[in-house]
Amino acid sequence: MIEVIKYNLPDFDIFNTDLKFEVSVWRPERTFLVIGQSNDAERSLKTDLVLRDNILVYKRPSGGEAVIITPNTLVISLVFKTDKLLNPKEYFAKINQAIIAALQHNGVEDLHQKGISDIAIGEKKIAGSSIYRKPDKVFYHAVLNVSEKPEVIARYLLHPQKEPDYRQGRDHSEFVTSLAEEGYMIDPEILRYDLEKELGTLTFTLISKV
Amino acid sequence: MRYIFNFPDIGEGLDEGTIAEWYVVKGQQIKSGDPLLKMETDKVVTDIPSPKTGIIAAVYGKIGEVVKVGEALVEIDIEGVDGADAVAEAKMESEETIEEEGAGVVGTLEIAGKNAYLPASGEGMVETVPVSAKTDKKALATPVARAMAKEMGVDINKVVGSGPAGRVMTLDIKKYFESSKRIEDQAKIIPQLPEDRITYKPLSQLRKMIAKNMIASKHNAAHMTVHEEVEISELIRIRENYKKVFAEKGIKLSYLPFVLKAVALSLIKYPQLNAEIDLENNRMVFKNYYNIGIAVDTEDGLLVPVIQDVDKLSVKELAEKLNQISEKARDRKLTINDMKDGTFTITNYGSIGGLFATPVINYPQAGILGIGRLLEKPIFKGDNVVKGRFFPLSLSVDHRIVDGGEVTRFLNTVMAYLSDPVRMIID
Repeated sequence: MIEVIKYNLPDFDIFNTDLKFEVSVWRPERTFLVIGQSNDAERSLKTDLVLRDNILVYKRPSGGEAVIITPNTLVISLVFKTDKLLNPKEYFAKINQAIIAALQHNGVEDLHQKGISDIAIGEKKIAGSSIYRKPDKVFYHAVLNVSEKPEVIARYLLHPQKEPDYRQGRDHSEFVTSLAEEGYMIDPEILRYDLEKELGTLTFTLISKV
Repeated sequence: MRYIFNFPDIGEGLDEGTIAEWYVVKGQQIKSGDPLLKMETDKVVTDIPSPKTGIIAAVYGKIGEVVKVGEALVEIDIEGVDGADAVAEAKMESEETIEEEGAGVVGTLEIAGKNAYLPASGEGMVETVPVSAKTDKKALATPVARAMAKEMGVDINKVVGSGPAGRVMTLDIKKYFESSKRIEDQAKIIPQLPEDRITYKPLSQLRKMIAKNMIASKHNAAHMTVHEEVEISELIRIRENYKKVFAEKGIKLSYLPFVLKAVALSLIKYPQLNAEIDLENNRMVFKNYYNIGIAVDTEDGLLVPVIQDVDKLSVKELAEKLNQISEKARDRKLTINDMKDGTFTITNYGSIGGLFATPVINYPQAGILGIGRLLEKPIFKGDNVVKGRFFPLSLSVDHRIVDGGEVTRFLNTVMAYLSDPVRMIID
C-alpha cells in the first residue's frame, strides 16, 4: 500500500503567500511522484516499482493526472490574487504562452499548446499543467521535462485514465519527450531565469487587469 | 423563492466534473460569492461560488460523484423574496426563468439557465455591447417597436430586447439604429487601402520581449531624465595615445570602456543608482556588485549584454570585453547568460546619431545613461576661444529609488571622471 502525502513540496509555499503574486521555478533534488486531486495511487501508478524504488508520492491540490518530477525537470508554479476570475482556458493559454516564449528565447522551435493544457514539441508532450482556483486566487502548476528520459516516466506511471485527443493511445515513451531528447541542451538554471522573468511579467499583467 | 443552481460550464470545454469537497450543508446560511463546493475537472480544481444569498435547501451529489454541466448542484432559499416579488425578480434576473408550483416546493422556483455564469467570478460573461442578437428566432416586441423598426429599416430580429422576457422596446430600436449608424459612419471615414500598401509581419520573439520589457519599465518605474554635456578633450587625447598600442594587441579602443569605468566608480559613490526597490517587502535592494549592461543595436533588435564586475576591470580589460560582446552580437551568439544580472545600463546611441534622449530604464534597475553624438563647440579657455569636444549625456532614473539631488551628484561625478580620466586611477 502506497502512502500518499499531502502536497508540501517547496513550490507550494507560494500558495499561502501574502503577496499579490509569486512565481516559483523549482528544480527538485530527487524524484517524486505527484497525483492529481481525485487520482488514486493504485489506478495511476505502477505501485510495485514505486514501492521497490522507494519513491515518495504526493497528492497536489490541483487537478490532472499523475506526473513524475525529477532533478531533470523544472516545476513551474505561480499564484496570483484576483477579484475577477477568468475562464481557466484563458489562464492556460496565457501562462503556457509565456512558458513557450521563454523556451523560444532559448531557441526551441515547433512549440504548440495541445490538449487542454499541455505544451508540445511537434506532437510530443514536454510539459503538462493544471490549475487550482479559489474565489480570490489562482494557483497554476506545471512540470517541464528538461532532460528526463521518457523511459523513466513510463517506469512509474500507468497509462492515464483520461487522455487528450492528440495522444491517440500512445504510451509514455512514444508520447512524452524532453528538451534534451529533441536536441535542445539548455542549462536549466538559464531556463529557470527566463521562465521566472516571462512569468513574472505575465503575472504582473494579470493582476494589473483586476 | 427557491433557486436551483446548476453546474455551470467553467470554461474548460468539458461537460462534466467530479465533486471534490462540499463546503455547505442543508440549512446553512450563505452569501453570494461564498464557496459552495470544490469541483474537479480534467485539469482544473476550482471552488464554485454561490450566485445567491440565502439558505441552502438541498445539496445534490456526493464527494467523488461526477456531475454533468447543467445538472443541479444546490437549491437555495432566497430570503425576503416571495410571492409576486419573487416572480418579478425571477423575470428580471434570468431570461430562462421557469416558474413552477407544487412538487413539494412552496412559492416560486427559479432555475439557473444552461449558460448561467458565476456572478462572483464574472465567469462566462462577455464584455461586449449587446448590439445584435441571433437571427434564428423571431423577436418578441411591442407593436410600437415593430412599427418603429420598420420605419427605420431595422431588422428587429437582430435587436437585443431589454423588456420583460427579452421583449424588444422602442428604446432598443433607437439604440440599435444609432449604434449601426455609428459603425457605418466609421466605415466611411476609414480609407480603404488596397492590400498591397500594407505588409504584415509576425513579431519576432525578441521584438515581443523588447515590447514587454519597455512596457513593464514605463508602467512600473517613475521615469525622470537629466541632460548634461561633458567636455572630453582630455579623454580624446588619452584615447588617441592608447588606441594604437591597443590596436597592436588586436583590441579596438572606443570611448565606451572609459564611460563604463567612470559609471562604475560613480555607482560605488552613489549606491542608490545601483539599487532596486522591493515594494512588496518594503525595502531597497542595494547591489554590492557593478554589472553594467550595454544596449546594442543588432539586426534582430535591441539586446543588452552585461559586463560583470566593471569596477574590478581595467580600461584595457573592459575594451577586450566590449570587443568580445560586439563579436558575439554580430555573429548572433549572445545568450541569455551574457545578458543577465545587470545593475545599471549604458546606451550609446550617439555612435549612430542623436544628441539627447529620454532612455527607457532597463527595469527594475535604477538608471540608464545615454551617450549622444560627439559634439564640437567653441569654449573659453582663459580669455581664448578654443575648440571644445562634448559628449551629450542623458540620464534616466527611477524617481521612486533616487532623488534629484543624488542623481545630479552622480552625474557630476561621472562627468568629472570623463573630463579628467586620470582621476579614475587616482580616486
